[in-house]
Amino acid sequence: MLAMTTMITDLDIPGNQSSPAIQSDWQAGRLAMQGDSYPENSYELFDQVIHWVRHFLDTEQRPLHLELALVYLNTSSVKAMMDIFDLLEEAFDAGKAVSVNWQYDVRNERIAELADEFREDCSYPFAITPVKGES
Amino acid sequence: MKTRDEEALLARVAALLESPEHAGHPLHDALLALYRQHCDQHEQIQRLINISDRYQLLAMEARQVTQERYEHSLRRQRKLSRISDGYQALMRERNQALHQASTHDPLTDLPNRRLINERLENLVNQGRAFTLALLDIDHFKRINDRYGHDVGDRLLVAITQTLSATLRDYDLCARWGGEEFLLLLADTHLEEAQPIVERLRASLAAVAIPVADQRLSVTVSAGMSQHRPCEPHQTTLKRADQALLDAKRAGRDRSLTDTL
Repeated sequence: MLAMTTMITDLDIPGNQSSPAIQSDWQAGRLAMQGDSYPENSYELFDQVIHWVRHFLDTEQRPLHLELALVYLNTSSVKAMMDIFDLLEEAFDAGKAVSVNWQYDVRNERIAELADEFREDCSYPFAITPVKGES
Repeated sequence: MKTRDEEALLARVAALLESPEHAGHPLHDALLALYRQHCDQHEQIQRLINISDRYQLLAMEARQVTQERYEHSLRRQRKLSRISDGYQALMRERNQALHQASTHDPLTDLPNRRLINERLENLVNQGRAFTLALLDIDHFKRINDRYGHDVGDRLLVAITQTLSATLRDYDLCARWGGEEFLLLLADTHLEEAQPIVERLRASLAAVAIPVADQRLSVTVSAGMSQHRPCEPHQTTLKRADQALLDAKRAGRDRSLTDTL
């Protein structure tokens, strides 16, 4: 019952050409994002995600895992991802289990370099994984 | 803070005040009052100093926190700009690759029709003179049929390399169709273009690629036309195409100019 009252609605936002697809799974402790991100309403979009992450970390003691397959990010999306990674870092410092896996297309090594720049200040497990691209 | 002398003086006064032999002395009460006032004032000054020190400490801590926050946000800003610049560079490279792909032929890396059409329109708009030469490899279909398309492709690439190496920097050569190339000789009249194209045909005839145990080479036919003031470039092109057709009909391995 307690879990039911503290849980918030999971996100299931379909992506399009300029906006990433976002799914959250409170029960599994998992948040996933895929695609390009240069949406018009960047703050509105990422505020929901940041809110979900913050709420999960504040209420749950279970691990949280982020599965990312983001490709292009505009500046406000970069800012939002930095905010999310900061929340994870805070939680990790407080002893919680958090992790990130950032998948990138092997044909686009530059994405891995940029993911690595994000990872710079993160002390929790942060994997950057190449995947075979569909041709 | 009391100095040693101060402490010693106060101790002396206290001892005198407490000593019974001085009780009732006319100065005793006055000295006692003075002694107490001094002690009160001293205590007040001490409290004042303590408060002042605490404020100073707080101000220092606040400044330190502000400084740390400033440095933290500066670091974040720098990281944000760095990553954002990275994505921007990525986008620019992608645009360049797309532009290259949309204006060039993937096999030979020569400009395609789209690019040369743009170039021709610009020349016409600027009112500059130019001559077009449409080149076609003779009996190319036979090569493809006999040796296969990969040999045909290899030959096309070899021809392209010689074409690019022989042309002047300001000339443009595009892959016009399967085995057709369009040469754009800017600021060049027909009379100047003729020897250029003849020289080029000779170089191309000398190109040979090894196939099995023999060397394969081809001849090239060409049709030329000079742009006439105010005509659309499509018309110039049509005349070059007609001249090429005439060259083919006349037995190939030659260049002809438009006769009109």
